[in-house]
Amino acid sequence: MTSRRAFIKAGGLALFGIGIGGVPNFMARAAGSRKATGLYKKNKIMVCIFQRGAMDGLMAVTPFTDEYLKAARPGLFMTAATQGNNNPLIDLDGRFGLHPAMSSFAPLFKENRLAIVHGIGSPNNTRSHFDAQDYMESGTPFNKGTASGWLNRAAGLLGHDASPFRSVSLTSSLPRSFYGDNAAIAISNLRDFSIQMKGNPMAANMAAKSFEELYDQTSSSLLKETGKESFDAVKMLQKTDVSKYVPANGAVYPTSALGNALKQIAQLIKMDVGLEVAFAESGGWDTHFNQGTATGIFARNVTDLSSSITAFWTDLGALQDDVTLMTMTEFGRTVKQNGTGGTDHGRASCLFVLGNDVNGGKVHGNVQPLSVENLEDGRDLAVTTDFRSVFSEVAGKHLNIHNDKVLFPDWKGNTIGVMRS
Amino acid sequence: MKKLLRIAVVTGSCCVFLAILSSFIAGARFSSLRFPWRKAGLTEEQAAAHLLSRFTYGATPGQVEAVVKQGLEKWFEQQLEARLPDDSLQVLLQGNEALTLSNTEIVNTYPRNAQVQRMAIQDGFINKDSVNKGDQKAYRDMLQQYMQQKGLKPVQELTRLFINQKVLRAAYTQNQLQEVLTSFWFNHFNVSFTKNDCEQYIPVYEREVIRPHALSRFEELLLATAKSPAMLTYLDNFNSTGAKEMPNGKGGKKKAGGLNENYAREVMELHTLGVDGGYTQQDVTEAARVLTGWTLYPMNDYYNKANRERLESANPAALERRGVVHTGDFLFQPNRHDMGTKTVLGKQFAANGGYEEGVELLHMLAHHASTATFISRKLAVKFVSDNPPQSLIDKMAKTFIDKKGDIKQVLITMVNAPEFWSSDALREKTKSPFELAISAVRGLDARIHQPYQLYTWISRMGERIYYYQAPTGFPDKGTYWINTGSLLNRMNFGLALASGRVPGVSFNLLALNNNHEPESAEAALATYCRLLMPERNSEATIQRLTPLLNDPRLQQKIDKAAAKNTMQQPDRETPETIQPGYAAQRSKAAATAMAPANKYQLSQVVGIIIGSPEFQRR
Repeated sequence: MTSRRAFIKAGGLALFGIGIGGVPNFMARAAGSRKATGLYKKNKIMVCIFQRGAMDGLMAVTPFTDEYLKAARPGLFMTAATQGNNNPLIDLDGRFGLHPAMSSFAPLFKENRLAIVHGIGSPNNTRSHFDAQDYMESGTPFNKGTASGWLNRAAGLLGHDASPFRSVSLTSSLPRSFYGDNAAIAISNLRDFSIQMKGNPMAANMAAKSFEELYDQTSSSLLKETGKESFDAVKMLQKTDVSKYVPANGAVYPTSALGNALKQIAQLIKMDVGLEVAFAESGGWDTHFNQGTATGIFARNVTDLSSSITAFWTDLGALQDDVTLMTMTEFGRTVKQNGTGGTDHGRASCLFVLGNDVNGGKVHGNVQPLSVENLEDGRDLAVTTDFRSVFSEVAGKHLNIHNDKVLFPDWKGNTIGVMRS
Repeated sequence: MKKLLRIAVVTGSCCVFLAILSSFIAGARFSSLRFPWRKAGLTEEQAAAHLLSRFTYGATPGQVEAVVKQGLEKWFEQQLEARLPDDSLQVLLQGNEALTLSNTEIVNTYPRNAQVQRMAIQDGFINKDSVNKGDQKAYRDMLQQYMQQKGLKPVQELTRLFINQKVLRAAYTQNQLQEVLTSFWFNHFNVSFTKNDCEQYIPVYEREVIRPHALSRFEELLLATAKSPAMLTYLDNFNSTGAKEMPNGKGGKKKAGGLNENYAREVMELHTLGVDGGYTQQDVTEAARVLTGWTLYPMNDYYNKANRERLESANPAALERRGVVHTGDFLFQPNRHDMGTKTVLGKQFAANGGYEEGVELLHMLAHHASTATFISRKLAVKFVSDNPPQSLIDKMAKTFIDKKGDIKQVLITMVNAPEFWSSDALREKTKSPFELAISAVRGLDARIHQPYQLYTWISRMGERIYYYQAPTGFPDKGTYWINTGSLLNRMNFGLALASGRVPGVSFNLLALNNNHEPESAEAALATYCRLLMPERNSEATIQRLTPLLNDPRLQQKIDKAAAKNTMQQPDRETPETIQPGYAAQRSKAAATAMAPANKYQLSQVVGIIIGSPEFQRR
């Protein structure tokens, strides 16, 4: 802590900055002239993406040899075979096919960096979006009153000093996953992380200096300590002009909410500000109406999801070793298509895990033939893997935390080998 | 003449007697109010400021003096009564008829989006094949047209009106304590806009369940929440049925839910006993069985008109014989109730207890010793400090038991206790973002034209009111509210508000100081610290800031930048929001320059005060 502050002061950053868009040149030079030697010890980073609305796992990763599925979804089923000028599924292993709009995932899967877990979900069979998201984020599928979120508990288990940027959610308000005693911040735009007076940067500069003085002298230790951290954090961000960020390796992020969120997470990772747990969201998965096939709303959603993630991965370059990314969604959708060209709330779905320590190139989990007797409640893809099994394994292996009693207090179970041991 | 006089005397003395009697009766209820601030070494002004900081959303200009004049106990008594006229607030709330609608009217006027879509398809207004396909704008326009035709409005409109109303009420009600407690109990019995199933019921929940019971007996409040559509849907009890109704597994789309323990668990863990209150999982299951059949009356014309018509056409006597209970929006459905015997916390519930056994259960929970302690502690955390002394909690819990959960009496015990006035408690609470924003508005005597703008800032600072997802409610402690991101937003809020950059909030800084502009930055700091933070010691603040504010080099740059900005941007501000500094500057552009030493921007000084650590405390 001391050394970091000393570094910042020595670097000429003691004079307060003014919003990231207008970092004075001397400051940028000062920061740029010396190598930003790790202010925080290098840590692993876990990135979670919540797909709100319940993704149709059977369309994202289709068991295309399943005749029952084909019969249940006359208007939605896609094949891996090329027929005329259709846009077929990408055959992953002779049984599962990736939706063609996720073609950018195919190479990652082939390189064994991307794993898929199918038939995953919650033991609580609620089909309410709210309840299922709540349970998944708190990590206690039968207890609503759990005050904390599982990612907050994960951060608490890391066992070393936290940077103010340890847990960051690129959302406008704190997600349930981050509720709890360990500090976490929600920020939709990194540029907001500064003292601002629109149109008057000098006044902002002076206000910032004033605040720094005042927070330094307050008798409330909470305000004093947090104040100090806030100003340090602002200075750390100011080393880079975040509004002029150029992704590396030719990565192109979609101009979507998710694309922007992942781009900013990549920036934080590169700035080395102590990020360890990051969170972002993706919406629009509640496809009751006309979800489409190779084109249409579902295809648009998975295009955004996969392109955003692939851009993020490309952008990370050499930092990929530090990062594991995992998607999650509250439940899956009915095996049968409904009367309006869509699917209704179901049980199991699938998720994606991406990272260099992931046991990739495989569709993990257990998906039985989709005959009625194999379905949950006679209608849905059965949950054969508890989401906590995978969350626990990914967080455990990647972040090196091993206390499932804290992470998932009600859960006892086995991991399925989605991470390489 | 003599007789007349006698009558007059008799009447007169009668009046006097009645007056004494009535004041005795009124006073008798709270005769025990005696605040020990003197023993704590406070001046009366300091005591009044402390009182206001805890039981209002912030002191308004001159309020400390007014409370001293009125008498601290007297002021508090009025707040407990919560019957002060609110005429000016009512004027501000006028025209928002939506906020007086019943739940039935709301569900049938402000349908959720999914419902509108289904209705429009059913009515043949839109084709189901057009959803998510083709021209999305045309599709949305069609839906909008449909809603207009049907007299329907988007539910977001209702939530917005509701939030606006809350901001205005907090800022301007004379019955501040009632409003502070309304927020407190809402958070205690939290429900959330994030859960679509309950969003339509939330305005009525606050209006009819929480606010009227904020200062009543705890049991009444508990029972009212248990029977409210908002809570029944938020914690799923509406769907909890006895074992007989368990789904057959065949998988129809709509099936009875079976036993749902969510409400039963949270009513013990979060609403009454507390997590260590001495209940077991078995108690949770049994309590859930007791509460099966507690559901809401069918209100929605689209989804359950038939159900309602069946109930309405049934013979009331027959319904009563069957044990059906219908009060307001609440419905007890005996055929969904588990008729067996149950045992909760050692108490036996005989078979066929029907609706009444749920009431008995809640009665038992409301008066349990663990509840007395749990609620007392939570109140002390809200009003005294994040870590209130056990001695205080014990006193409050004793009153809770002795006075049968009378919330007013528990508060009186708290304020009468030396712990409330001790130096450990003064300025020890951290304002929540909502409290911060409203206290700034009140301190500036500001007018709010667009409450939602404040709400946006409050959300950004970390308190998206009515959207906290978990039934725990927001954690009421400084360490939750204060983190690096939220703290910067608090500072930025201060700067934005004071410089007139929070749209829809206007005030006149000079008027606060009798239209006198302080002569120097130092004087401005001293004056406005005193106005915004009465009875606080601001010496250190002034000492630290004066050199900065007086740095002529820095000031010149600021002025230059500001002037440039003023010239470039068309001025959208109303005359009232123009800050003295800006105004002076504009006139100055034509006139001769002032002496550099005198130049400062009042709005900036005030912004720094609002963003300062001292202003974050209450």
